[in-house]
Amino acid sequence: MRFVDEFRDPDLAEMLGARITALCEPGRHYKIMEVCGGHTHTIYRYGVQDYLPDDIELVHGPGCPVCVIPMGRVDDAIAIAERADVILTCFGDMMRVPGGNGSFVDATARGADIRMVYSPLDALRIARQNPDREVVFYAIGFETTAPSTALTVMRAKAAGIRNFSVFCNHVTIIPAIKAILDSPDLRLDAFIGPGHVSTVIGCRPYEFIARDHGKPLVCAGFEPLDLLQSVFMIMTQFAEGRSEVENQYGRVVRWDGNLTALKVLADVFALRPYFEWRGLGSISHSALRMSDRYGDFDAELRFKVPGVRVADPKACQCGEVLKGVLKPWECKVFGTACTPEMPIGTCMVSSEGACAAYYNFGQYAKQRVHLEV
Amino acid sequence: MNTGDPAVLSEAPVSCELTDGCITCGDVAVVLTVVEASGPDARCRDDAGRTEDVATELVGAVAPGNRLLVHAGVAIERVEG
Repeated sequence: MRFVDEFRDPDLAEMLGARITALCEPGRHYKIMEVCGGHTHTIYRYGVQDYLPDDIELVHGPGCPVCVIPMGRVDDAIAIAERADVILTCFGDMMRVPGGNGSFVDATARGADIRMVYSPLDALRIARQNPDREVVFYAIGFETTAPSTALTVMRAKAAGIRNFSVFCNHVTIIPAIKAILDSPDLRLDAFIGPGHVSTVIGCRPYEFIARDHGKPLVCAGFEPLDLLQSVFMIMTQFAEGRSEVENQYGRVVRWDGNLTALKVLADVFALRPYFEWRGLGSISHSALRMSDRYGDFDAELRFKVPGVRVADPKACQCGEVLKGVLKPWECKVFGTACTPEMPIGTCMVSSEGACAAYYNFGQYAKQRVHLEV
Repeated sequence: MNTGDPAVLSEAPVSCELTDGCITCGDVAVVLTVVEASGPDARCRDDAGRTEDVATELVGAVAPGNRLLVHAGVAIERVEG
């Protein structure tokens, strides 16, 4: 496939793997966290770990936006969706995320009008087509997705569309990385930076990680060779005694990010003082709400919601998986009580979730290892 | 990713496939090529020939042949190289 095959060449992958192995210091174990769920998906789908020496361990981070949604936020949205005058719209991955009172699929079965959309702009189109209904967009995602929500709200305001609002769950990546760096559970050596988040925020916001914590970070693309090259760049930094932020994904990531998108985000959203992340707990200044200027489009102001915090199921260990403390298969209910068909935890719902990615792809790699033994 | 009529991405039913990941959310974005630009939207095409309308306000003026990184119906950056 054009523009893609060159990033999936197995011979180049073997060569990069050998060069990475040559950079390993004997007896040292390296833990590298890929922050983004898209990277986790690529790692399992293409068996990227198989090209790396045993001394390099890839640790999965919290960058799946579906996986970090707390149960209470699902319940709040269902409370809105159960109003007869409301059409709730959301991305496909959200439909099966369990809340305390079931998922959006369950709410749909009970009669709520919940529709999947590809883009928030599709939700706005539904609002235009249904002027007698309130259309609410359930917004999730990091800085990659927040601009599309912001742009949609700006278009709604410009067009004078009054029956559209946003239930905003957008989160920001830097506070989550800070929380992981401050976690006593985990010792990390370096980070693979989220490529598409970085197209928006650039590389500059990560500089404190290298400067203050002494850990290299390389912003990476999403093809297998992108990831292997990023690991090679990290290992080169270790070999040369450097700790810097570098950009492997130069084909779309600029050092200062997309300034137009950042300006739009600053106009439409404001930082929440705190926000609960599933598994990570409450993190200050880590999420967005509608700004006062766009308060008319805030579904949380337009509708009454329970706003109750719901504890995760006791058996679920998504928190440890999201922090990289546990591997997916080390969770007590992985693959037994919790599967993609009947998920208990959010990490098993989205294809970007570490548990779902491992369940669908990683277990084959493990079988290969067993066969070789 | 979207399935259904292969010629029209934007009219296809939304679903997630574990093989390709979910393009409806997360940090997954796709590279599309501009076919026709008109106002704030551009008609774009992927490598398989499927087309969709993409909002381009965040990347400035575009022209046919430009390649864009598209996420949730919105171009978030130009693709170089």
